Amino acid sequence: MSGPAQIPVVPAPRTSETDGPRKRFGQRDWVSGRTLGLILFAGVLMIVMSLISPGFLSAQTFFSQSRYVAFYVLVALAQAVCLAAGDLNLAVGAVGSLATVALGLSMTSLGLPPMAAAFAALALGPLTGWFQGWIITRLRIDAFIVTLSMMFVYLGLRSGVSGGNSYPMPPSFWWLGQGSIGGWLPYMALLVLGVLWIVSFVYRRTVFGRRLLATGSNPEAARLSGIDTRRMIVAAHVLSGTFSALAAVLWASWSGNAAPQTGDDWLVISYAVSIIGGTGLKGNLISPLGILMGAIIFKLIQHCLVILRINDNFSNTLLGALILLAIVVDRAREHLATPTSARETRPRAETK
Amino acid sequence: MTRNNRFLLIALAALIVCLGSIKLLQQRRAAALEPIVLYLPLPHPYCTAVGKGGEAYSRDHGVSVRVVVGQESTQANVSTNIESLFTLGYGAFAVYPVDPAGAKGLFHRLHAAGRHVVAYGAEPERGTETPFAVATDTRRAATAAAEKLVRLLNGQGRILDVLESSTDANTPIRRSAIEAVVARHPGVSIAQTVGDVTTEQKAREKIESALVARGDEIDGVICTGYTTTVAAALLLAEHNRRSGAKRIRFVGLDTDERVLAAIRDGWVDATVAQNPFGHGYLSCALLDLLRQGWIPRSAYTFVDSGSVVVTRENVDSFQGGIEKATAEILAELKTKYLRAPAGG
Repeated sequence: MSGPAQIPVVPAPRTSETDGPRKRFGQRDWVSGRTLGLILFAGVLMIVMSLISPGFLSAQTFFSQSRYVAFYVLVALAQAVCLAAGDLNLAVGAVGSLATVALGLSMTSLGLPPMAAAFAALALGPLTGWFQGWIITRLRIDAFIVTLSMMFVYLGLRSGVSGGNSYPMPPSFWWLGQGSIGGWLPYMALLVLGVLWIVSFVYRRTVFGRRLLATGSNPEAARLSGIDTRRMIVAAHVLSGTFSALAAVLWASWSGNAAPQTGDDWLVISYAVSIIGGTGLKGNLISPLGILMGAIIFKLIQHCLVILRINDNFSNTLLGALILLAIVVDRAREHLATPTSARETRPRAETK
Repeated sequence: MTRNNRFLLIALAALIVCLGSIKLLQQRRAAALEPIVLYLPLPHPYCTAVGKGGEAYSRDHGVSVRVVVGQESTQANVSTNIESLFTLGYGAFAVYPVDPAGAKGLFHRLHAAGRHVVAYGAEPERGTETPFAVATDTRRAATAAAEKLVRLLNGQGRILDVLESSTDANTPIRRSAIEAVVARHPGVSIAQTVGDVTTEQKAREKIESALVARGDEIDGVICTGYTTTVAAALLLAEHNRRSGAKRIRFVGLDTDERVLAAIRDGWVDATVAQNPFGHGYLSCALLDLLRQGWIPRSAYTFVDSGSVVVTRENVDSFQGGIEKATAEILAELKTKYLRAPAGG
């Protein structure tokens, strides 16, 4: 995992992602300036919280909070891969919900063993993504409309099929979400770190990843340069569905139950963590490490609200304001880091 | 090495040094924490009443209770907030299992770490690691509501059955309880069942659509959720107030002030009052006793907090009945539900 993968909009401003005057030939930043800012912010939050709460620096806290971070990363990735390709997916949570019901049904009605049922549920994610992507690209309907409609389709299906009933997961399936190494490092966190590394590799080192970003950067230019942008949009939705389904399977294992209401609150998380993590809302930019830091910050803020005994009725207000502040600070930092000449030329480049 | 990389290394080293120093310098004594956490899933009239029960227990017995309100009524939100409280070192939790089956993992984690946990408001799924659930008996309350409606209809008529969230585990129980009552009365039938309602607005839309479409056929409406009850009570009060309109009978659930006002004015008939105050008070009482070493008599006990059918006759006095039920259960805790600690 390293800095954000990005196809620069021409003309590229000189930022930490591009060569600056202080760099020597062959030298590269390990993380972008943006991600560095997130690391600093998370570090400050950790210091403040460890000063306030004596129990914060403990294996127990690490185990507890890192599972949520891992979960938020997957939910955010489901949105970020679509955003990076210049699209969006409002059905992130609904796909998770449907995958949860599929997991429960596979075990109870079909009698599949837990891991086979998990793979069946995982298969549903890319399938829904492919279907959404197909409608968006073949019928040329806006992703907002398609994913909004599909969200209702999936939510109706999950309610109709499950009848509102949850499906208990057998204890033999709990290890994935509840197990750990040494009582402090959850398997979930390890799995998600692996996923992040793969995502980082794909976007930075493979032709496929660069094509996804190129599609998000300027679809018309990408198409003219020979990239099958429609296929890239479908691929982004397939990836998104896969991440949603994986998050659903992990959550079911963690909670010991496949509940149809899983995913009801994922949409906000997916956007909040992606945006804090520096994913470009207009495509072109994704940073797996940034998303990880975004998830850590998001979770630390939530944890902080509990520790600081913020008036509970206003906690959502504060959470929203802090997210907005993080984004504003990030944008300000980006603005200040961009030379004036580039600032003046960038809008023209974007409008073309 | 680039400037960014140097800065990153320095920042990480500084962070490690800071956190390490804080850990070393921190005194070993734990922060002063309230002994009991009463967790309310979201700002909601039911939760407010539960919170008042917890605060009353704190006042009456001199035991501090931290009342925490979550942001959403989802198991994910409940779990994330409870885990944060857990890591702070709290030892006793009263938790509303938003998803009765999904709470299993959370309760297991709390129990495995030696924390006390009591469920309130809804019964968790069998096998969940909690010794007590303090709640309204869902089936009994739905049955009481349906029987009251059948009596109001004099055993003859067609009912609109309005269910709440389709993903709420209590919804299928309520539905089957109502259907069982209807099956026992040949003169009564269900004209239509509407459901998948989570907000008052959605409830109003669905009920109004059903009444407009089949108003002549419907003689009674039953609602077994809070939001549906409020929406239906307001709509039916409007309908029944109209001169010449057929009187549609109504029984709901919970005691929102608007529903009570409609009952008091005679525009709607009845609602089933739960005991949210008791949910808070009794779950804190049980946690307090568990903390003191009292031992549950069985691995799991359902404590029925009681329910009362509220009509025009008792709309201003039913609260007394609810409080009496709470006091009776409280008096029985040490004899019926718990055993004295060894040597106690």
